[in-house]
Amino acid sequence: MKKTLLASTMVAAAAFAAPAFAETLKIGLATAQTGGLAGYDGPVIEGLHIAVDEINAAGGINGNIMIELIEKDVRSDAAQTAIAVQELADEGVSVIVLPCDADPALAAIGTVTSAQIPAISTCASSPTLPMIGGDFMFANFPGDNVQATVSAEWAHQQGHKSAYIIYSPDSQYTTMPLYFADVFEALGGEMLGQDTHSIGQQDFSAIATRIAALNPQPDVIMTSSYEPDFPSMLKALRAAGVTAQMIGSDGIDSPTTFSLGDVGEGVVFTTAGYATDGSPLAEFNAKYEAASGKPSETVFNAVGYDLAIVVAEAVKAAGGSTDPVAIRDAMAELENVRGATSLITYKGTNGMPVREVTLIRVNGGERELVGQPSPTAELIPAPRMQ
Amino acid sequence: MTTSPRKQIFASIAAIILAVVLASLISSAFGAASERVLTVFFISLIAVVGMGVYSGNSGILSFGHLSFMAIGAYAASLLTLPAQLKIATLPKLPEWLATTELGLLPATVIAVLLTSVVALFIGLAIGKLEGSAAVIATLGLLIIVHGVAIGWRDVTRGSQTFFGIPRETSLWVAAVGVILALVVARLYRDSVSGLRLRAGRENAIAASAVGVRIQRERLVSFVISAALMALSGALIAHFLGAISPKKFYFTDTFLLLAMLIVGGMTTVTGAITGAVAITLVTEVLRRFEGGFSLGGLEIPAVFGTTQIGIGLIILFAMFRKPDGLAGLKEWEERLIPHRPEGDTDVVGAPSVSSQPLTAKGMTMQFGGLVAVHDVDITLNPGEITGLIGPNGSGKTTLMNMLSGVLVPTKGEFFLGSEKLSGLVSHEIADRGIARTFQNIRLFENLSVFQNVLVAALSTRGGKNAEARTTAALARMGVARHADADAGTLSYGDQRRVEIARALACEPSLLFLDEPAAGMNREETDNLMETLRGLTRDLGLGILLVDHDLKLINQLCDRLVVLNEGHLIAEGSPKDIQNNPAVIEAYLGPNRQD
Repeated sequence: MKKTLLASTMVAAAAFAAPAFAETLKIGLATAQTGGLAGYDGPVIEGLHIAVDEINAAGGINGNIMIELIEKDVRSDAAQTAIAVQELADEGVSVIVLPCDADPALAAIGTVTSAQIPAISTCASSPTLPMIGGDFMFANFPGDNVQATVSAEWAHQQGHKSAYIIYSPDSQYTTMPLYFADVFEALGGEMLGQDTHSIGQQDFSAIATRIAALNPQPDVIMTSSYEPDFPSMLKALRAAGVTAQMIGSDGIDSPTTFSLGDVGEGVVFTTAGYATDGSPLAEFNAKYEAASGKPSETVFNAVGYDLAIVVAEAVKAAGGSTDPVAIRDAMAELENVRGATSLITYKGTNGMPVREVTLIRVNGGERELVGQPSPTAELIPAPRMQ
Repeated sequence: MTTSPRKQIFASIAAIILAVVLASLISSAFGAASERVLTVFFISLIAVVGMGVYSGNSGILSFGHLSFMAIGAYAASLLTLPAQLKIATLPKLPEWLATTELGLLPATVIAVLLTSVVALFIGLAIGKLEGSAAVIATLGLLIIVHGVAIGWRDVTRGSQTFFGIPRETSLWVAAVGVILALVVARLYRDSVSGLRLRAGRENAIAASAVGVRIQRERLVSFVISAALMALSGALIAHFLGAISPKKFYFTDTFLLLAMLIVGGMTTVTGAITGAVAITLVTEVLRRFEGGFSLGGLEIPAVFGTTQIGIGLIILFAMFRKPDGLAGLKEWEERLIPHRPEGDTDVVGAPSVSSQPLTAKGMTMQFGGLVAVHDVDITLNPGEITGLIGPNGSGKTTLMNMLSGVLVPTKGEFFLGSEKLSGLVSHEIADRGIARTFQNIRLFENLSVFQNVLVAALSTRGGKNAEARTTAALARMGVARHADADAGTLSYGDQRRVEIARALACEPSLLFLDEPAAGMNREETDNLMETLRGLTRDLGLGILLVDHDLKLINQLCDRLVVLNEGHLIAEGSPKDIQNNPAVIEAYLGPNRQD
């Protein structure tokens, strides 16, 4: 929070001292600082602050456009998001940042469309968000369908023949396993079944018992559930004697997953990046540690950094304009922007960026890089509401 | 029909319309942002008065009313959602619904009607509960409807966001809605049903004894309040454009209840005051939530400041103003004087049935204790019967059985040939048996006039209620207190108001339980004179319980003596004075001198 102040005081000071022609780009943050999504939006906004501080310290975008952040907490709630986004639109922001999950972000569609302000979700990965959200809705993360393709192809290459999925119909994101099942079957794998749960469910013993009773056992179990569901689910499965390979997704890219001890070992999941020596992500992690005094524990910090870079690049591409429509048009044409985690391309997409997908394995409580494969384009399922 | 002066109602409605229109005009001048703050405020206010219609008038705090908001919101949204979007996001909707695409007005009307029907059934069930059981039941309702909204994925999209609702709730739409809601709530409060319900809130037993059917009035208010909640829900959905079941759960229940409690549950003025106070505070705190700088002092961002602030205001209100900032009266009730003071003439005697009440074998058993044992008693019109006996002899119990407050273990009683045993309190009141209570049971926060009016409205089909009220007040000499709150009167006056309230039922029999308790000699003498007048002028029969033997002996035509639940003597006061069994009961077996 100190950084917020630092940033805002710096902005104020800079705005005061800046020459007359200096412009300000107002970015409205309607993100979840409390509630279930705070564990994702919190780190993303931290990373975003680092980028904004860095840009402003260098005199702003193009050396003359300072970034001002206006922050609202939407409490992980759809209605609050709608209200906060409307308030930000009223305050005349040029870009709006939405919560990590597609569901609250969808609540902003009406406002961003009518106010014609580009909106980017911090880390929603549902490809349906920009599909339904229209021209002004962008995402900032590899899509669910792309992540599922990467993990299904990996499972197939590992020689896994059968799979089981556990998903929650409570949100778009947690239905990612349905994409996984499509790809896995297309590759010739066999789906042994599926289970659903609700978000926040504490007890997974019934599901674990059901899977443990399967004969033969599935080779892999895929889920996109996240905290607090994922750890409970994993513990229940392992306690029931299920030894299948667990595949998860970016939602479990958090310190918790690496501190689960033995049950967490061997879990593989897709996420947005991996810091190899000398990579932009390693460079970002160094900046993060310098700014906050602690090492970055999740890739979502870097994802926030990426978001600010994308906005800055869009403003540059728009010829330094802070006009929301000009920024939107420029953003939709961005190609190979170098972010901390990946090269990012919006050109040719409906707002769901093309970004690298990284496969990580939990190994000895540490992050082990499995690979950063490019998915086979034909296998990627079309986005759908499910 | 309203039970309060037209002048007050007109003033209230005029003020509501004026305030809403003025606020809307002012906020329009300040631009879109302030318009939206006001729109949300109006929509919240509809919900707050909606909750107030039930909770304020019935005294039962409801945690469940946001479920009606949810039903209204989802129902209206399902009707207005563009058909194309419906097919994309809710593929399993039945075809007739998937292809329906209505405007906001018809959708809202249908949603309100649907919610009212749902509320009718829920109200029938919850209405049977009393006190904290009813409160807990409303909590259950909230959780159940939330569960249904999450589980019924094919219709509600489950816990996912229900989005794409046309954003048609403009400031002026909300303004019309809030005027409608405030006027309905204000009219209901002083409608016959509202007044009866408030009497029931003040004292359920007394309300029943003057003919009020509390459960029916609760149901009426429950349905009306649910309809207002549905209106609020439909409007908020079409304001936000996106809803999820979370929107209608604990957080917002807490916020809206806070408005109601802080402002004062029992009045429309209170609802408005509370909504204004909480909205102002949250709007201010919300702006500080992101952190701010105060004279060089940096205050860090604390998300959640708003909730903490509301919590503190509730605590403050509970300590300082437990009845809410606006108290128990509407502003116009305080400011606009009404009913001319001074006693009016006693109007003509009502027709009274001349049939006796005969009770046979009345027995009341509480567990192992037999409070009244096999008592036969007859009460005649025009006769004052005294019921005496030592403490604990069963006098009040007998009276409670004969007025339907208690159901006798055995025995039955008739008025003429009509069987009354088995009827409940308000039905017996309507058949001409009215009573007062040993511990005064007035509707303390209603005016004296309203106390009596409720009785007149709830018996004899409510005919000529005002005239009967005025007559009863005048006969008991309390007309000059008509405007005062009953709870503020002196003890003696409270006793007289209680008798006036019983008289307004136009009874043929009047049961008075210790009417002279706490009165001085002069007051007692006046009371005696008044009671004599009642039997003389109106032909009323009176059953009188009192410990003041002078009063009993001078007033009563006949005495009935109970001891340890048994009838031990019956006869003229003179006979009773010399009856050895009575002397023994009062003085003990060894005092023969």
